[in-house]
Amino acid sequence: MMSREAGSRGLVKSPLDVGGGLFLVALAAIGFAGGFNLPTGTLSGIGSGLLPKSVAVLVAAFGVLLIVQGLIFEGDRLEKWHLRGPVFVLGAVLLFAILIRGSTLNFGGILGIPLLASVKVPGLGLIVAGPLAVVVSSLAEKSTRLGEIAIFAIIMTILCGILFKELLNLPIPFDPMGLVPAPVNHAYVGAKSAIFHAFTDIKNLFAR
Amino acid sequence: MIDFVTGLVGNLALGMSVALSVKNVALCFLGCLIGTLVGVLPGVGPIATITMLLPITFGIDPIGALIMLAGIYYGAQYGGSTTAILVNIPGEATAVVTTLDGHQMAKQGRAGVALGIAAIGSFIAGCVATVIIAALATPLTAMALLFGPADYFSLMVLGLMFAVVLARGSVPKAVAIILVGILLSTVGTDLESGEERLTFGWTEIADGLDVAVIAMGMFGFAEILRNLEMTQTRDVVHAAIGNLLPGRKDFRQAAAPIARGTFLGSLLGLLPGNGAVLGPFASYTLEKKLAADPSRFGRGAIEGVAGPESANNAGAQTAFIPLLTLGIPPNAVMALMVGAMTIHGIVPGPQIMTKQPHLFWGMIASMWLGNLMLLIINLPLIGLWVRFLKVPYRLMFPAIVLLCCIGIYSVNNSPTDVVMTAGFGLFGYALIKFGFEPAPLLLAFVLGRLMEEKLRQALVISRGSFWTFVERPLSAGLLLLSLVLVIIAILPAIRQSREQVFAEAD
Repeated sequence: MMSREAGSRGLVKSPLDVGGGLFLVALAAIGFAGGFNLPTGTLSGIGSGLLPKSVAVLVAAFGVLLIVQGLIFEGDRLEKWHLRGPVFVLGAVLLFAILIRGSTLNFGGILGIPLLASVKVPGLGLIVAGPLAVVVSSLAEKSTRLGEIAIFAIIMTILCGILFKELLNLPIPFDPMGLVPAPVNHAYVGAKSAIFHAFTDIKNLFAR
Repeated sequence: MIDFVTGLVGNLALGMSVALSVKNVALCFLGCLIGTLVGVLPGVGPIATITMLLPITFGIDPIGALIMLAGIYYGAQYGGSTTAILVNIPGEATAVVTTLDGHQMAKQGRAGVALGIAAIGSFIAGCVATVIIAALATPLTAMALLFGPADYFSLMVLGLMFAVVLARGSVPKAVAIILVGILLSTVGTDLESGEERLTFGWTEIADGLDVAVIAMGMFGFAEILRNLEMTQTRDVVHAAIGNLLPGRKDFRQAAAPIARGTFLGSLLGLLPGNGAVLGPFASYTLEKKLAADPSRFGRGAIEGVAGPESANNAGAQTAFIPLLTLGIPPNAVMALMVGAMTIHGIVPGPQIMTKQPHLFWGMIASMWLGNLMLLIINLPLIGLWVRFLKVPYRLMFPAIVLLCCIGIYSVNNSPTDVVMTAGFGLFGYALIKFGFEPAPLLLAFVLGRLMEEKLRQALVISRGSFWTFVERPLSAGLLLLSLVLVIIAILPAIRQSREQVFAEAD
């Protein structure tokens, strides 16, 4: 875990506290900027801006306190940040979000930056987004075996489809939307309905 | 007194008539089963479990959904203990103590006895806690009606101060993380003026951030990221599970610790600000002090499993009291329950008991039922859990990622929610890296909105005078208590002993 080393380490005595303090100050700045234009109001009629702004100031104050504390007292080092985990796990989540129902991705176009590009992503449904999320996130771990995870991803997706679509009737899209050529789609829909028919038969068998 | 008892029996009978319908029993069973199934997964605590499984309660009527959610909650709690005993990985803070002696027992081939006594202790604790809840519900609800906005505000301040005292690590960091939680709660449209706050023109968050999104990001995804970096050796017990039913000697040794643990846990669970987390620690320390031979502790003493597990379950149960009677969640899990109840159109608070007695007493009766279910489910299914635990993490975490994605998408059918969850995953990861404990943030997030509302109401009533918080005796008392807590948290001597309590667990 974290190592606590004796001896001087230059100006910053506790990188963990200083880092945490800077993080808080940054959060407070965002909060304060977001509430900047809101009215503070009076004590008997508090405006919408009073709480966000005053809490942001308090957060900043504690940030400064932590920074000062980290400059004076010995403390822990910063833990090492890893890229692999966040990139693949959160990347998989974003991929899922984009593909599940389709979306239009705009690059630029906020905070004064002009719209640079706009890409339309078709909705591919759980049947594509599911296995992709599993496989991409699995890359976060070194010991992943691709063959194994591919089979596992398909099994998981089918199980989730049965559980969430068939049993719980959640409105999550399962099939791709208008992307697959008609004949393939026909075959696919046919196969799927056959499977679900068989499944419903089994279910009815138990229901009786 | 007689009136009180007959009233209690009548209320519980009403509750049982609701909870014992075939459908609700089935939902309770299903909730406990699935909750345990997910809770058993190492690194998936109750918060992540509840968020992940929230969508499966959609489409059920509110009473059934609440009964199922409560079942999921107990299941997740108990699943965490199973993991603690068999794999030595605590699912959450309260299971830490169980790893100490529970895992040692498992290594000695007594895993079955450890799991058995944990289940039996939890069951007894659950039964007692249910009666306590039922008994306290009516008087506390009556008391809640005396609370003015100023008193509510001060009570929440007290709760957050408790959360500061009970958080691990440095006090300034704990206070700061609570403030960040309150800041996040102000995001969205202001209820009084209709102005958008901190949204930066982003319409998707105009309704405010979703508690499920924050919970899933910070406790689902960030937890996975942290687990991936820990080169933990998952030593799933290879020794035989052994006999499940504890012997007569075990029962004799465990009986008193179960009773004491139940008492301690029930009491501490009532405290605002996550008092429940103290139960297992307090019980373990107490049993060690009382033991004839304290050196047995840490080497597989059955008292070290029976006491803390009972305290854990009792506290998990009585933590419902502040939520159901006052509408104030005492800890992060209960904060999430507020979100879950709101989805089903129920606003927690004193009005539930008076306006929806079926729902209120049905849920309380189902707590007892849920504890019975856990006993029935867990003892025969332990073999299944063990096999589950042997699934390698490299397969487990992608599956968890997928379930989280589907779960969070289904809450609002919104891909944007999924994106925001990823954002909060990164945020939670950063918090962990900077040494902040994330749980108080969730509590502060849910309390933040309530606090602002009550603050405004109180100041309108007092025509803008802050003295109202000190002039009202109830509010003044609560604030004074909060002040005492702050001083306690800062005092160096107590800080050290606080670190010791948690260090013993590490």
